[in-house]
Amino acid sequence: MKINLAVALAGAALVATTALAHHSTVMFDEEREVTVTGVVKEFQYTNPHSWLLVDVTNEDGSVTTWGFEAEGPSTLMRAGIRRSDFSPGTELTITGHPMKDGRPGAAWLHATRGDGTEFDPRSGFAIR
Amino acid sequence: MTKLCKPCLSLGAVLILAGGAIPLEQAAAQRQAPPPPSPEKQAMIDLGIEHGTARGLYDHFRSEADGDGTLAWEDVPDWSGVWTRETFVFFWDGDQGTMDTLPTARLTPEYERRLIEKLDRIAQGIEYDPLSAGEPAGMPRWISEPFLKDFAVTPQQTWLINEMMNEIRRVYTDGRDHPPPEDAYPLWLGDSIGFWDEDRLVIHTNQMREGQYQRIQPEYTDQVETVEIWQKTAEDTIEVDIWVYDPPVLVEPWYTRQVFKKLTNDDNALRIRYWHFNENQNNAVFETEDGSSDFANFTFTDEDDN
Repeated sequence: MKINLAVALAGAALVATTALAHHSTVMFDEEREVTVTGVVKEFQYTNPHSWLLVDVTNEDGSVTTWGFEAEGPSTLMRAGIRRSDFSPGTELTITGHPMKDGRPGAAWLHATRGDGTEFDPRSGFAIR
Repeated sequence: MTKLCKPCLSLGAVLILAGGAIPLEQAAAQRQAPPPPSPEKQAMIDLGIEHGTARGLYDHFRSEADGDGTLAWEDVPDWSGVWTRETFVFFWDGDQGTMDTLPTARLTPEYERRLIEKLDRIAQGIEYDPLSAGEPAGMPRWISEPFLKDFAVTPQQTWLINEMMNEIRRVYTDGRDHPPPEDAYPLWLGDSIGFWDEDRLVIHTNQMREGQYQRIQPEYTDQVETVEIWQKTAEDTIEVDIWVYDPPVLVEPWYTRQVFKKLTNDDNALRIRYWHFNENQNNAVFETEDGSSDFANFTFTDEDDN
């Protein structure tokens, strides 16, 4: 698995927090995005926030585990994201707002699984 | 960039707008005044003013109601289903409209100053929400939390249930009154009594703790009291007229109409389930020395981060 790390300025279209209730998101850099390709290590389907842990192989062969934060299970269900969608070993490319301090964590914006299925955790707040 | 709701984009816009420390006056000048209330809304505000206190307004509704205020089993309305609030979470009042508009509350000078200071801190990236440590939202903030709610109506009590922190408001409709003032003490969800006026549930709540309506909204004190009128107006809609009284903070009752929408749940996957904030170490957030927020130790890094 090759790393595909693309940190880019998001420009004027800044986005809001994923953490709409539990905590401030000042620890994330909402002006930047990070995209990585890797395999799911664990999907922590928990309240108040879920964490998708992704193992990413770096160019030197080492592995970094990234954590992508999203809302809790009920909001993810409303976005059509079930726990079984990201079983360990699932290949994916995932994008988020990275931590300001450089730790390998991010606020999860969207993901594309290896089979091409796309996931948008923030759509879970839509009323339908 | 993923699809985003307009209010979410607006939050980003306000964060861009205030990139550094700015004087209160300048900050206030950058924020627009809220839109004036519609004539219908102003009439509701005036009604709240006319009756002076939350208890006064509640007693007015009681005196105007038909019947004895009780509910028979055969008249229990169908409020079943899984519901969520329609308005964007960060707004107490949907009429606020945009993130660069101030809340619609008419605040006392002291609490207007405190609100502006809070907004300035947020604009500088300094923010801490007590919910980070697992505190319940509490009332009135309970209203604005964006997650799942469900409602259980019986003749003696109505339970208004918030998924978040499993906050259950018990509204007693069996004719009891509040505890005597000398025995009252602040409660996360307050003490709620109510009566039925046909299909409308009228609620008076007192004994609440101090808090904030939302992260970019004003604070409230432990003197806050509310009057609510809940009514199912369509198969997928419950409307709540709410007046908030809080003399240290509000120069007049803050009237708003809150709307809850019933979610499609054909496979019954959406259910209210118990939350515990400490079930995942990766969600541990602490208050930094400068009053902002940061994660504690992640389990997925090798670092002893904090």
